[in-house]
Amino acid sequence: MDVKTVVIQLVSAFISSLGFSLLFGMRPKYLAPASFGGLFTWGVYLLCAQIFTGAFMPCFIASAYAVMFAEFLARMLKTPATLFVIPAVIPLVPGSFLYYAMDSAVHGERAAAAEFGTKALVFALGIAAGLSVVTALRELRTRK
Amino acid sequence: MILNTEMQAVLTDCLLDMGVLLIDAGAEISRVEDTLSRMAHAYGAKRADVFALTNYLSATLEFEGGAPLTETRRIMQSGGTDLFRIEKLNELSRECCAAPFSPEDLRARVDKISSGKKPFSFVLGGSILAAGAFAVFFGGSVWDGLAAAALGAMIAVLGERLSRTQVSTVVSDLLLSLITGLCAGLLCHFIPVLLMDKIIIGDIMLLIPGLAMTNAVRNILSGNTISGFIRLCESLIWTGAIAGGFMLALIFTGLLF
Repeated sequence: MDVKTVVIQLVSAFISSLGFSLLFGMRPKYLAPASFGGLFTWGVYLLCAQIFTGAFMPCFIASAYAVMFAEFLARMLKTPATLFVIPAVIPLVPGSFLYYAMDSAVHGERAAAAEFGTKALVFALGIAAGLSVVTALRELRTRK
Repeated sequence: MILNTEMQAVLTDCLLDMGVLLIDAGAEISRVEDTLSRMAHAYGAKRADVFALTNYLSATLEFEGGAPLTETRRIMQSGGTDLFRIEKLNELSRECCAAPFSPEDLRARVDKISSGKKPFSFVLGGSILAAGAFAVFFGGSVWDGLAAAALGAMIAVLGERLSRTQVSTVVSDLLLSLITGLCAGLLCHFIPVLLMDKIIIGDIMLLIPGLAMTNAVRNILSGNTISGFIRLCESLIWTGAIAGGFMLALIFTGLLF
């Protein structure tokens, strides 16, 4: 993957996170920090994708990173972490695989549909797993 | 603060209204239960049992020397996200736990929050930015981004209209994705430089219930299994409806052109 593609992806990840923060009604003063969440998460994903084969591990690590970033921001700004989780995690959502799975299904290409569907599922599981691990760790830490 | 029976009833009513607003705005269930019971204790309740599901809320408050008060609410709307409101309510509960105001003042504050929604310009602007940027993110050109952004604006406007009708989320998702898919097909037919897949992917991202799914997982992890599973099932069904809508659109455009 060349530098130009990486830069385009990072910038568009930032703008899409900004879009989602707006869409969900986030306060203007939190927009900038929340949008950097998307950029950083995608950066972490791209880095991990160089190291690991397959999509699960990169997605898992990036999602765990996204939640930690959200928790960190929430502590700093004294607001609920939920606010920042979505903008950070959103670039990992497998919208493209979902589309290609549907497209293949419509054209009767079952094998391709199954492959794309599985990829979408792997991403969804990766996100859920990353989220779960960090949330569980946080609960361990704060339970009294 | 010592409350008379009448004020206790006002308070219970207020707390449940807050709970409904929180659930409506997409807050986690554990947070809703936690917020309400904290507030009740701040007002001197010796017991506060709050139970919430994504479509149901009940609370029983018991004050020193009084009979227990119970109220329940059936929550009709669901699925929307309004961080603006969650934050306002969060702020209110923090202030209130630090120094409780009179139940009438609380009532006024809650009513003020419930009448103010996130501005539609945020939704519109956010949809345009997110859809456009995602089309580029997944490898589309600037033109694909612009087309996706235009359809994103259409989704925001139509979605707002549909949310005011009786239409359920499943049907509205199906309609929105069908219409978006058809428009994308038409655009690509008349402007051949556009890539249909990139445009649709940008707009799919707007419709996918990402937050609902994330919250479902968080709910399950925090022990609210029923709410988590309700949300998870709902978001899977919604995703199915979105996929179905786009598939129909792909079939129609395939037949037309």
